[in-house]
Amino acid sequence: MSNKKPLKHILVHGQAAPAVMDILKKKRQKTVVIPEGRPQLEAAKVNSRELLKRNMTPLVIADNMAGFMFYRNMIKEVWLAYQIGDAHGALCDIGALIYAVLAKKHRVPVLAYPAVEQKRFIGKPKEICCFCGRRVAPPAVKGYVPLLEWVPGNYIGKIHE
Amino acid sequence: MKGRVLNVLDETLIPKKTVYIKVRNTAQAVKVIRSMKTRAFGQFLVVLNTFLLEIQAADKASDRVFMQKMNKTAQALNASRPTFPFSEVTGIVVHWAEEALRHHEDPRKIVKRNIHGYLQGIRQQRLDRVARLAKLMKNGDSILTHCNVSGELAMAAALCRKQGKKIQIFATETRPYLQGAKLTCWELKRVGIDVTLIADNAVASVMADSLVNKVIVGSDRNCANGDFANKIGTYQIAVCAQEFNIPFYVLTQPSRAVKSGRDIPIEIRDEKELLCYEGKRFVPRGAKGFYPGFDVVPYQYVTKTVAINVK
Repeated sequence: MSNKKPLKHILVHGQAAPAVMDILKKKRQKTVVIPEGRPQLEAAKVNSRELLKRNMTPLVIADNMAGFMFYRNMIKEVWLAYQIGDAHGALCDIGALIYAVLAKKHRVPVLAYPAVEQKRFIGKPKEICCFCGRRVAPPAVKGYVPLLEWVPGNYIGKIHE
Repeated sequence: MKGRVLNVLDETLIPKKTVYIKVRNTAQAVKVIRSMKTRAFGQFLVVLNTFLLEIQAADKASDRVFMQKMNKTAQALNASRPTFPFSEVTGIVVHWAEEALRHHEDPRKIVKRNIHGYLQGIRQQRLDRVARLAKLMKNGDSILTHCNVSGELAMAAALCRKQGKKIQIFATETRPYLQGAKLTCWELKRVGIDVTLIADNAVASVMADSLVNKVIVGSDRNCANGDFANKIGTYQIAVCAQEFNIPFYVLTQPSRAVKSGRDIPIEIRDEKELLCYEGKRFVPRGAKGFYPGFDVVPYQYVTKTVAINVK
């Protein structure tokens, strides 16, 4: 393993509102970590586009790779995109609870920022049984596709309006 | 293995097609391992059978040339995927050959006989582990698994079914190669087990909502202190399981070759494998990707191991 100190990045989860990308730009972030956001991969597509527009580099990871980055001390902050939120917590895009738990474990601050509106709570099974429009799972396999999840307030440092 | 050809199931094509790749030498074996056409226990079988192929090819070679071939084969296989402990197995094979020569015996015959015996032993031990795994699985369990446990989870679930236990499995899809969606679901469906596919980002959700009561995963490399490396994503599942008080079970192959997880080299794979699907890029140009193939789970997260002894 290299002796170099790993670079620390902000991990932005969920489809953040464009104004959030402006804040990242103001914070002079050169590279921002983006979990891809299955099943529709919106984060990989839309967040990347928005970051590139602002001359920042999206570093895309699969949704299962954040743990590795926390373990290697590569994440300095987690920004969760939320639909609704109050002192009790925030309703965020699916995956947010994993990053919140990892952040708690690794003592990394979690901030919540407004998301692009997500109207569905649950997706269709075929969304997870397919990848980029191609069926990957065998026929008759059931899929469970939660799209939003509740992150309790004790995991979140601050909810930004 | 048939004659001088090893037929390797191309796991990347399952469940759409069942295709066997013909492997005739070490270079071809390294290629199927490196390109993840086979993985986990399949890789282990390829490693051992590659020696059998090379023994056949070196049938008439001198002992010196034969030993060179054995060492070269071991080196190439060891370097094929850095996270895997192939050297622990190839070292044993080379040692058999050296010992045979030291005792003025035919190393080809000895190595061949030992490999067959070793494989037979492993098969038996895996079946024994399946039985112990099935014991862990109780009637009404809803189990979360990640990636693919090389058939053993499916066999254990099938055994439970025979015993009248009702088991439900939640399988993560396991990006980017989707082994969970493809292989695990395929194996479980074949034995009639109720399997539900979820995205990798839904694991905390199913735990928080009490949809699962156990986690069972495999391990690709084990350490003396109990840490282990497994498919990327295992670490965050372990952390979430601890957070939500869900027992976390691991199938292991105990080894003392590395002290702790910090000593395991982690393979970083090509970003293209993450940013493209079937050759087509789905992420805007300019974006970069980061693809560590494995992560390490410290022993503190493990509730219980279900071990096999490969030595």
